[in-house]
Amino acid sequence: MTREQRFEAEALPHLKALYGTAYRMTHNAHDAEDLVQETFLRAFRAFDRYASGTNIRAWLHTILYRVRTDAFRRAGRSPRTVELEGDGPPVPTPQDALAAGGEDLARALDGLPEAFRTAVVLRDVQDLTYEEIAGVLGVPIGTVMSRIHRGRALMRAALGGRKP
Amino acid sequence: MSCDPERITAYVDGALDAAVCPDLEAHLAACPECRAQAEEERALRARLRVMPSPEPSPELEARVRRSLRARPRPASWLLPVAAGLVALLVWGRGASPFVAWELSRDHDHCFGNRRLPAQVWSSDPARVAEWFESHGTTVPLIPESAADLELVGARYCFLGDRTAAHLYYTSGEHHLSLYVVPGPVRDPSPRERRPRGNFVRLMRMGGTTVGLVSEKEENVEAFARALSTTVAWKMAVDRPAP
Repeated sequence: MTREQRFEAEALPHLKALYGTAYRMTHNAHDAEDLVQETFLRAFRAFDRYASGTNIRAWLHTILYRVRTDAFRRAGRSPRTVELEGDGPPVPTPQDALAAGGEDLARALDGLPEAFRTAVVLRDVQDLTYEEIAGVLGVPIGTVMSRIHRGRALMRAALGGRKP
Repeated sequence: MSCDPERITAYVDGALDAAVCPDLEAHLAACPECRAQAEEERALRARLRVMPSPEPSPELEARVRRSLRARPRPASWLLPVAAGLVALLVWGRGASPFVAWELSRDHDHCFGNRRLPAQVWSSDPARVAEWFESHGTTVPLIPESAADLELVGARYCFLGDRTAAHLYYTSGEHHLSLYVVPGPVRDPSPRERRPRGNFVRLMRMGGTTVGLVSEKEENVEAFARALSTTVAWKMAVDRPAP
């Protein structure tokens, strides 16, 4: 098995999971796909450094988060990472009408500040452990706990009107 | 122990040291507030775990596989050959059929989103031009609308080898993209091209190339006319009377 085949067999099955996180981070499919593509490229280059047998999904998320923060760091210079200047009209599609009914959860999640949202997604959607999340975000476990707590409290408030 | 909401979160996640769990469980039994928090967090977790995941486009996996193959580690003797190929590729990418194909792909990509990924939202051409100007791109005079399609916003889009200003026009049902393409485009003659089923026209305007993409030929025609008229009108206004 070549290095490339091994990488494809081990890493590519996680493409959808990575896309899910990327989409929650960027809020749009265009940027999420670019983010995932860049993540897999970097992961492929660094594949020799991946410790076989450890959680590859956590390792891929570490790279995804790094690509995202690098893009933010370049934000001052790169026009592609300029933040949205407002909330414009959506492209109307039939799916919009269908999705409108059951989207309160996704809306509450998307409404969180990015630091909390990422922590909640890594824990509750991707099911990573606190240790793995601390590794992905490069922060102490106490910070992970605090961000998940704040994120969930804000979501509970958004969904049920409870004070955060 | 007193209430410690962050610890309750860690307890729900099974991330708490086993030694402190008995104390916390005793507290939970006595404190309805903390018990409610734990229950709500468990319920929220359960909902998030089964929340439908956003689906990537079917093309993404193929794109990733292609990009992995595009970057093998070159042997040293391969380098001059690779350099030649890169030069050829750069040369090839400047050709108008290739640019037209890239624009058409990007048009489908942007308008394929449920929500347009614009970086600036405005129906005012002056406002959009000003936004691009502040990011270092000069946009030629652009129409506010044509053929029922109105300007709604814009962003920078990556075209494989260059970043173009991309302006979105829509009537809700139909879409048109106006691109300001930097760098050289060889043979941007205003002939119609149809890559990926879209109508594409490239027009040389001053020092830049403008690309128009739409699913409908009439829309491209209308914008090509509107662009020429706007420029002619501006030139007439700017020129001092004899």
